[in-house]
Amino acid sequence: MKKLNKYLPYIVLVVLFIWHSVLYAQQQRFPRPEFESGYTFPTHQFLNQRGPMWEFMDVAVLIGALLVTSWLALKKRSRQGLIWMSVFSLAYFGFYREGCICAIGSVQNMSMALFNDSYAMPLPALLFFTIPLLFALFSGRVFCAGVCPLGAIQELTGFRKVRVPQSVERVLAVIPFVYLGLAVLFAATESQFLICRYDPFVGIFRIDAPYTMIIFGSLLLITGIFVNRPYCRYLCPYGVLQNIFSRFSIRHLTISPAECRNCRLCETGCPYDAILQADPATYVEKPAEPKKKSLVYLIAIPVLAAGFALVLYNLAPSLSVVNNNVKLAREIRLEKEQGIKAVSKGAIAFFESGRTEEQLFEKEQQVIARFRKGAPWVGIFLGLSFGIGFFRLTVRNIRTIYEPDRGRCYSCGKCYKFCPVKINN
Amino acid sequence: MPERLIVQLSYLIKMEEDKSKSGTRREFVRTAGKLLMAVPVLALPVILARKTDAKGFVWQIDPYKCTSCELCKSSCVMTPSAVKCTNAFPMCGYCDFCPGFLRQGAKTYDTSAENQLCPTGAIVRKFVEEPYFEYTIDEKLCDGCSKCVKGCADFGNGSLYLQIMHNLCVNCNQCAIARVCPSDAVIRVQSEEPYMRKELKKS
Amino acid sequence: MKFSEKEVKIFKGISLTAGVFTAVIAITMLFSLIQLKKINPLDNPSVQSVKEQFDMDPENRDKAEQVRAMDLMARKAYFSSRWQVETGSYLLIAGAFVFVLFQRLIEGSEKPSRSLQPGKPDIVSERIRNRRYLVISAGAVILLAVISSFVLRSELPAPGKTSVIKETAGSAPAAADELAVPGDINYPFFRGEGSRGIAGGTGYPTDWNGTEGKNIKWKITLPIPGKSSPVIWGSKLFLTGAGNGECVVYCIDKNTGDILWTGSASGFPGSSAEEPESDAEAGMAVPTSAVTEDKVCAIFGNGNLVCFDHNGKLIWGKNLGVPLSSYGYSASLVAFDKLLLVQYDSQDKISLFGFDLNTGEQKWETPRAGRPVNSSPVLTAFSGQPQLLINGNPNVSAYDPVSGKELWSLPGVSGDVAPSVAVNSKMVFTATDYYKVIALKPGKNGSTVWEDNTFTPDVSSPVASEQFLFVTTGNGDAACYNAETGDTLWTHYFEEPFYASPIICDNKVWMLDRSGIMHIVAAEGTLSVISSSPIGERADCTAAFSEKRIYIRGQANLYCISSD
Repeated sequence: MKKLNKYLPYIVLVVLFIWHSVLYAQQQRFPRPEFESGYTFPTHQFLNQRGPMWEFMDVAVLIGALLVTSWLALKKRSRQGLIWMSVFSLAYFGFYREGCICAIGSVQNMSMALFNDSYAMPLPALLFFTIPLLFALFSGRVFCAGVCPLGAIQELTGFRKVRVPQSVERVLAVIPFVYLGLAVLFAATESQFLICRYDPFVGIFRIDAPYTMIIFGSLLLITGIFVNRPYCRYLCPYGVLQNIFSRFSIRHLTISPAECRNCRLCETGCPYDAILQADPATYVEKPAEPKKKSLVYLIAIPVLAAGFALVLYNLAPSLSVVNNNVKLAREIRLEKEQGIKAVSKGAIAFFESGRTEEQLFEKEQQVIARFRKGAPWVGIFLGLSFGIGFFRLTVRNIRTIYEPDRGRCYSCGKCYKFCPVKINN
Repeated sequence: MPERLIVQLSYLIKMEEDKSKSGTRREFVRTAGKLLMAVPVLALPVILARKTDAKGFVWQIDPYKCTSCELCKSSCVMTPSAVKCTNAFPMCGYCDFCPGFLRQGAKTYDTSAENQLCPTGAIVRKFVEEPYFEYTIDEKLCDGCSKCVKGCADFGNGSLYLQIMHNLCVNCNQCAIARVCPSDAVIRVQSEEPYMRKELKKS
Repeated sequence: MKFSEKEVKIFKGISLTAGVFTAVIAITMLFSLIQLKKINPLDNPSVQSVKEQFDMDPENRDKAEQVRAMDLMARKAYFSSRWQVETGSYLLIAGAFVFVLFQRLIEGSEKPSRSLQPGKPDIVSERIRNRRYLVISAGAVILLAVISSFVLRSELPAPGKTSVIKETAGSAPAAADELAVPGDINYPFFRGEGSRGIAGGTGYPTDWNGTEGKNIKWKITLPIPGKSSPVIWGSKLFLTGAGNGECVVYCIDKNTGDILWTGSASGFPGSSAEEPESDAEAGMAVPTSAVTEDKVCAIFGNGNLVCFDHNGKLIWGKNLGVPLSSYGYSASLVAFDKLLLVQYDSQDKISLFGFDLNTGEQKWETPRAGRPVNSSPVLTAFSGQPQLLINGNPNVSAYDPVSGKELWSLPGVSGDVAPSVAVNSKMVFTATDYYKVIALKPGKNGSTVWEDNTFTPDVSSPVASEQFLFVTTGNGDAACYNAETGDTLWTHYFEEPFYASPIICDNKVWMLDRSGIMHIVAAEGTLSVISSSPIGERADCTAAFSEKRIYIRGQANLYCISSD
């Protein structure tokens, strides 16, 4: 003790001059005081979140909401009911649960869990991923209709109807596929959760977000007043999966409660142009073309798949920059080779950590290798989707009735009031 | 992935059959397609079952990796940040000259504004007995800027450290702070042990 | 739900008001956000400048009041802006909610407009068109793929070809495993040959007294004092000094104590006239010089690096940039082969330099990782491969002294690192105060062999023989450990703190404490204090040994201790 008292003023003096110093804060420079007045350490209570079991409550509400929405869309055919469902989902999944965890984001958890041994995905996230897809197999995109909070907020703010020309719609509809592919790739390489980062509406649900997110979300909503459901149509990556699954649904929303009479009154009824119109009765089918010729066009599908795979393989190093390790390695290499000082916080922390450059560059190579392995699969997915989608347009069958496009119809029920057919009960 | 192959297959089958315009065959294919689609949806959860955790994770800062870079304050999606500073009293030296409380070059050791390090004045200094002072953080004022953490780590015992407060944190799927932390100090921890406290190291 | 005309009109009015209200709030919040970003209350430069003004005149109560007022304003601004954002957000949501609600009510009462779509193209032409698009897009994608394969070539080196020098020696132990015992004439670096802390020769006096003059051959006062330790080559002893804006190198005849020449090390391009701020106790002349058979090099805390020949002629000199160091720049110089090796630790950069001894040309610079330290480099060899070891924070690193490439790096100590490493032929020992003493097995696959944190040095460097490690601390303790196992063999409290590094010479350990008393103990596993001899003034510099004479630099004087 006496020695310490002798040195205490010295230490204090030196400390007054010191500028720079230690990284690892494990030094006990000043020994524990021995209190003589009977002082006891105050106990600090850390507060906890709501228990994790409540997440399963959310799953239960999800299932209930999906059941009610299916009944409203397919059986009861009540547009009003679906609107109230949207209000409920917006209130519960949106503002109460603050939009997290959601089915759209769960895609990333799935991807990360599948491709990384060190991550175990939370069970509620898995359920949020699969249950809406199962319902899509049963009743179409009822999740999008009245359960997804992002869909709900767009549904409720879509007052006006502005038609988007078909060609523009088709081009913009490519974006969700690319978004999905990139989101899965980035999550699988543990680089980023792209969907969560650019979720436009979660800031509104939390009533708290970086201002850029709020502005993006508000602009999207304002656009949505005119071009309804912009996120669902042109951005939502989960919508891609709903689209694919819904095409095989056992039952689906129909425009007419009974048979379609081809009265043509519903042609302008869908703001998303998701109604497949019947072909004119005067049309005469030409003799069937030889199978060989259409097979030639079928080849376009694997060709597209291979082409996209190659493009993405080449893009893999540029894409890998989203990963923090790669970004840091590039910065350090830039300093080494061109003398541009590395001043980012990551670089400073790296220099102080004692990690060697060799370790960093090795990690960078590992990440890029993972991107190189995963990116071609994203390319194949894009190529197949693009090819199959296009191919379907080249071999379209003749339609005899008006029905919704099972992939693109959100089961929102706006078309009900256009159909004059009434069921006499 | 099996899903894509199945999609491709079912579409090919569908295309071929459409040529013959046979209604029943189409119906069969559609049912087959539905069953095929159901398979991955049901199989994936089974595959992932061993990789699923029912209890869930929360985010937390590892105080031994933290480098006091001040990004916690600005990166959190919440305003103010869900990160707050806390003092590990058993480790604290209770010093009169607290390098986490007083700024560099402070000439007197008191609570005057010109001497305090904390920009929001969130550290409360209370005299205990000669020569010891107790330092506590007023969490309503703290905004997680880590200036005091740096001061204490550099010149003191390192008893001040940042933690994510779970009554404020919304537990994002990917923590925005974790994404930018330069020393990868923000990690997922089991929700039953949501805090990583600093303890006195036994030498 | 159907509403009357009047009701619809009212709704329109309400929703318009709500819409305008929301828009106004949004714009206001945006403006206040921009303001906040510009002013940034908690980090505002004007608050900073007021604080700086106060710092320059700390007694001024008015300035203190100013700081307090500005600080209060800043904090008020910050918290009120936070409150503004919060309430603004709630107002926004409320306004938007009202707007949406009434819009929906209006929409609900509007009749659905049924109109027929204009005619569309027939199926066949549609099919043909789509097929054409399909082929075109397939072709475009192929083209894109081919182009991207050439344009987007990765410029990164393929993995496995990163530039790392593999260890040259094989696994079989080379002939020269044992480190050679140094000669007894030359003492070329800070802690002797290789700066390892081992000196050669026998027959050194163990008993002297500076005040009485017993066994003191000569004693001179240096005109300009310094903290560097003496180095010796042949009959010449070299020291540096700095003060009053001057940096000098002294050459002293080791037999007579005459100052043969004084070399000036000031006035190089890039060197500043003023001394950089540093620990007042240290000064500019802390690093010890390095002497080779024909040259002597010195470096100072202002970054001046000079090289003279043994006769005092300046061969080259340059300024490396002021190394910003809180305790004062202190890394001593070493030379190997044709290169002068400089361990440069500054707050903004840490690296290892290799300069050509003849011309001063920089041959290479190896940047180092971690934080700056105050230790000095040590030259040694493992498995026949010469290595330069630096006690860094947080790693101990080894470099090839010819090419500068890093050979290996192992986790070491953290904190304020001033002691240099101790080495023997198999192990490396690192230590610093408030942390631990760590014994490492060196090499790429090296590891920690043992650790102990009972006795840790703050300034003096530990020294190792093949069997023992000797540590002297700033508390006044000395300890001896078993080098291989880390068992504490003996400890002794010598009262006064140790800054000078202990030297092993003639099977004894020579420990000079800050009060100027040299404690001489046997370099054995059992404590045996041979003698304690004072020079009569405070001393921080490490002693030099040459030809039965010991040279100690005290605070003001240089002593030559000899028994003849």
